[in-house]
Amino acid sequence: MKQELKLTVNGQPYEVYVKPKTLLVQVLRDHLGLTGTKRGCSDSSCGACTVMLNGMAVKSCSILALQADGADIVTVEGLARGTELHPLQKAFLDHGAYQCGFCTSGMLMASRSLLEENPKPTKEQIKEGIDGNICRCTGYNSIIRAVTAVVKGEYKEEK
Amino acid sequence: MIKDFERLAPKTLKEALTLLEEYKDDCKVIAGGQSLLILMRQGLVAPKYLVDIKGLSELAYIKDDKEGLKLGALTTHRAIEKSPVIKKKFSVLAEMEQRLASIQTRNWGTIGGNICHADPAGDPIPVLIALNATLTVTGLKGERNLPVEDFSRDYFETVLEPGELLTEIQIPALPPRTGAAYTKFNVIESDLATTSVGVSVTLGAGDGVCQDIRIALGASAPTPMRAKKAEAVLKGKKITDALLKEAGEVASTEAEPISDIYASDEYRRELVKVLVARVAREAIARAKA
Amino acid sequence: MSSKYSVIGHRVHNVDGTEKVTGAARYTFDVVLPNMLYGKVLRSSHPHAKILKIDTSKAEKLIGVKAVVTGKDTPGHKQGIWRRFPELCDEEILCRKKVRYIGDPVAAVAAVDEDTAEEALDLIEVEYEPLPAVFDPLEAIKEDAPQIHDGVELNINVTRHIEWGDVDEAFKKCDHIREDQFKCPSQAHVCMETHDAVADFGYNGKLTVWTSSQSSYYIQRLFADMLDMSESDIRVMNRHTGGGFGSKFELDSAQFPAAILSMKLHRPVKIVLTREEEFIATKRRTPMYYYLKLGAKKDGTLLAKEARAITEGGAYTAMGATALYLTGFFSSFPYKYPNYRYDGYRVYTNTAPTSAMRGFGAPQSTFVGESQLDMMAEDLGIDPIEIRRKNGMTPDYVVPGQAFIQSCGLHQCLDKIEDHIKERGKLPPNHGIGIAAYGFMSGGIFNWFNTPYAFSAALVRINVDGKVDLYTGACDIGQGSNTTLSMICAEELGVRLEDVRIFSGDTGICPPDLGAWGSRETLMNGNAVKRAAADAKRQLLEFAAAKMGPNIVYDLDIKDRFVHLVDRPERGISYFDVVKEAIRGKDGNAIIGRGYYTPHRKGMISPAYSFGVQAAEVAVDTETGKYKLVNVTTAHESGTVINPVGIEGQLEGAIMMAGGYGFCEDQPMDEGKILNPSIADYKLIRSLDMPETEILEIDTYEPEGPFGAKEAGEGLTNPTAGAIGNAIYKAVGVRINDLPITPEKVLRALKEKQKKKK
Repeated sequence: MKQELKLTVNGQPYEVYVKPKTLLVQVLRDHLGLTGTKRGCSDSSCGACTVMLNGMAVKSCSILALQADGADIVTVEGLARGTELHPLQKAFLDHGAYQCGFCTSGMLMASRSLLEENPKPTKEQIKEGIDGNICRCTGYNSIIRAVTAVVKGEYKEEK
Repeated sequence: MIKDFERLAPKTLKEALTLLEEYKDDCKVIAGGQSLLILMRQGLVAPKYLVDIKGLSELAYIKDDKEGLKLGALTTHRAIEKSPVIKKKFSVLAEMEQRLASIQTRNWGTIGGNICHADPAGDPIPVLIALNATLTVTGLKGERNLPVEDFSRDYFETVLEPGELLTEIQIPALPPRTGAAYTKFNVIESDLATTSVGVSVTLGAGDGVCQDIRIALGASAPTPMRAKKAEAVLKGKKITDALLKEAGEVASTEAEPISDIYASDEYRRELVKVLVARVAREAIARAKA
Repeated sequence: MSSKYSVIGHRVHNVDGTEKVTGAARYTFDVVLPNMLYGKVLRSSHPHAKILKIDTSKAEKLIGVKAVVTGKDTPGHKQGIWRRFPELCDEEILCRKKVRYIGDPVAAVAAVDEDTAEEALDLIEVEYEPLPAVFDPLEAIKEDAPQIHDGVELNINVTRHIEWGDVDEAFKKCDHIREDQFKCPSQAHVCMETHDAVADFGYNGKLTVWTSSQSSYYIQRLFADMLDMSESDIRVMNRHTGGGFGSKFELDSAQFPAAILSMKLHRPVKIVLTREEEFIATKRRTPMYYYLKLGAKKDGTLLAKEARAITEGGAYTAMGATALYLTGFFSSFPYKYPNYRYDGYRVYTNTAPTSAMRGFGAPQSTFVGESQLDMMAEDLGIDPIEIRRKNGMTPDYVVPGQAFIQSCGLHQCLDKIEDHIKERGKLPPNHGIGIAAYGFMSGGIFNWFNTPYAFSAALVRINVDGKVDLYTGACDIGQGSNTTLSMICAEELGVRLEDVRIFSGDTGICPPDLGAWGSRETLMNGNAVKRAAADAKRQLLEFAAAKMGPNIVYDLDIKDRFVHLVDRPERGISYFDVVKEAIRGKDGNAIIGRGYYTPHRKGMISPAYSFGVQAAEVAVDTETGKYKLVNVTTAHESGTVINPVGIEGQLEGAIMMAGGYGFCEDQPMDEGKILNPSIADYKLIRSLDMPETEILEIDTYEPEGPFGAKEAGEGLTNPTAGAIGNAIYKAVGVRINDLPITPEKVLRALKEKQKKKK
């Protein structure tokens, strides 16, 4: 028996009808067509599905969609402002902090959440911030360099 | 594949308890779901009804007074990790949370959910045992309190009766000259423990004799356990390196670890031996500070 | 880093970068078509069994199920990537009479959604007659072992032999001989995007497949074999692909069942493997028992090496025969052995098939070889760097009967690492630095697929606005080939990177390329692209010469969109103007350049090799055996660096994978069942576990490669396990000969060492 789910995603309000067992990631990808968020595992271990929910980084494959009723979600599609890329996106481009790109959305959202909570993290804290995300291509260090560059203020956002 | 279920989302604790009483074994409780959803996806758990208590904000709180710390069962791991009062007064709790799974899991998962999942390799319970914590279990008939070390019955099984919910965790204020520490052993930093040890020690004034000691072992038995014989080696004595070594050896005989693909039981016992001495030493240093 | 070139050698954004960081990149995982169904695969739970009966009737009746297929719905062929050798084409994919490993597919379902398809699997009834099974190659090779494939005696699937000189005579002349045994485990690729495919068979009899692949060319050909179809009626499109690492250039159990279902229903069918299926049924690194005998003179000169590998083949041949050969070939790298002998045996077992994984047999041979070499060095009282210096390959070395090494910067790499170790100075107690050297190929010359030669082809089209379309079958699986090839095209043609748009991995429009494996794209496809761009440029310059009318002695060239006299670079015309007029002069037809590369007379293995030396630093906790990977520093050379950002990424990423092979990755099995088929249980290095990495580039130039470039993506998966093993020995004096090196193994070794002391 489907139930109503109201949530805001990337600033847009949505209303969908979902079965109770539907996961948040299924709403984002299948109902709303926001396929930037990926899935890479079945046991909440890879982090590819990371989005921000009410400002917190969460694994969208591990949350029942109905628990996100009324929530404010940000996915990778919501990072850029119009045509202006987010500083993290620019830094990822400059530092080659992605290769196949499948983990990239999750890495960006985990990093963004980290910086919203703590704009000046240490290197150790940056590593902690993405420790829930597996990358098989980069070896993580380029991602850490990209985030560090943003922390250092190399990508001042235009107000 | 998650099997279909009916989701019930009570708005108050009383409503929740009423539902649990009504549906009993036909229902399961979900809080953050960080452990439960994995089991449901694998088809290991397939309840007809899911009582979703994640929204019960009345059960999410951190209260600190002269008696000690009171945590609502729905407090998230991340809230515990970041709480200034916990970092100051019960730092071992915040340290343990910092290496529990990932930030994403900690943002949504709750301490109550973790305790009720009763994974013998889980991090919170050994730390709570070391801290002499108690739990409040609530049903429609009323509340009962029990020590945390009596809560786990077996692998992934607790003493919760149908109709009951874990509602609060109490950690008594640490007596003066008390130090507590926790270590989990793993190869990958944020992994589940291969073996873990939590120790709390209270030293006497002046002479430094060990007045009280609690040693908790994780991933060393079907449930988290206290190494009481090892405690007896140290309690009431002035602690030396030799005694710590002996306590470690005794603890390793008390443990009943399994062999699995990660480690043999023999190696786990060796880890208990080494880690009990190490963590106790760290706890003593903190007690003296 | 400055570059003498306009485009290559510069730090650029990956050409797919913006799509990837905005979530706009579409992978097969994201493909949704109108009228599409979802498929699931039923797999054997027995390691070895006859299939007596399959009853699909209940599944077919489930609401939402549109079709259920089994082996009898296929033409019944066996496929294998060693296509020129029919006896090695042994895999049906959808099994008809027999299953040979836990996970072997037996049926597939198409339904309106994934959950319904999964439910339907439970309703398919398969009657098996279990057969005795065997899991270890040393057991499977015995007389009384169960026979896994008809007619294959002792389950010996393939043997390989490489020899030069006379090792038996040479051993007699040695001052010191070592014999050592090692065990190398399997490893899972763990691509972030699992195997997936959307197959769409139309009423026009044509099949279109979107799939995550390293070689659309191979997939197209294998589909043609398996479906009795003509190649050109099959179009395989590689979308953005979430990793390959060797797992995605064979026809797999997402692609084939999806096609069979689609052919039955004339509707698109999408199959995405779960992570569990990915672990148990998508092939893996070849486990090997290795025996090595090494002989040297007391001054450290290596005289002879004998290597023997018995490898666990798993249920089917797959690419295992190539791994068997390459491990034996690279067991002779990177040193000059006057006498060498290798014998390899690949043995069928009732386990998941073992095949290609980044390094292709060389991580195994490098671990065992570099471990033994350090042991030999210690026996002789020679420094580990010195013994490698004494015997290391040099430019223009010939591996007898096997290979011509042209460029080789191994010695400069040794020097750099020696300096690095000196700089680290005196280490704290229980810290150690260990080294390992490697060499690796830039694409395989051998081709067992359909022609005797490996090849790459490319097409360059200059459009009226001067923008360039580059068409190549090369597949970008994250290694950045789209960017590297676009850079080569832009450099050769004389335009900017942003002027080039690449279409890759689509058999419908791209010229064929064998795909992204064996580290071939930069050198092999890069050469094809360079030649295609040169062809287009030549045509353009012919027109420009006629237009500009310079004196016959002057040559023209294009650089940074300016067509100019080479000797008077300030004199010329805009490239855009030349293009417009040239196309007008050709009745509006675009200028098309073609290029291909097929290495001839370049030896048996590869036209070029890259080399390097890696130093790993570890810190060991002697009470628990746990060790931390502190730092991994690599000196490497890969010819001219085309895409510096790309290379850095490949090298650091290789360390994560190669480090994992030594540090934590393993696939323990019980009676053929993989015990840890999940990301939580299969241990992977995460950000908190990753060591500090440093890369030291050595400048070399490879004449075979485009602008002097050669491989950089795979060689670096070779040395890390060996460097870690050598580092642990340096730190605490114990040696572990079977991977992964776990804390328990280290502690056990330390305790035994203590016992021996007493």
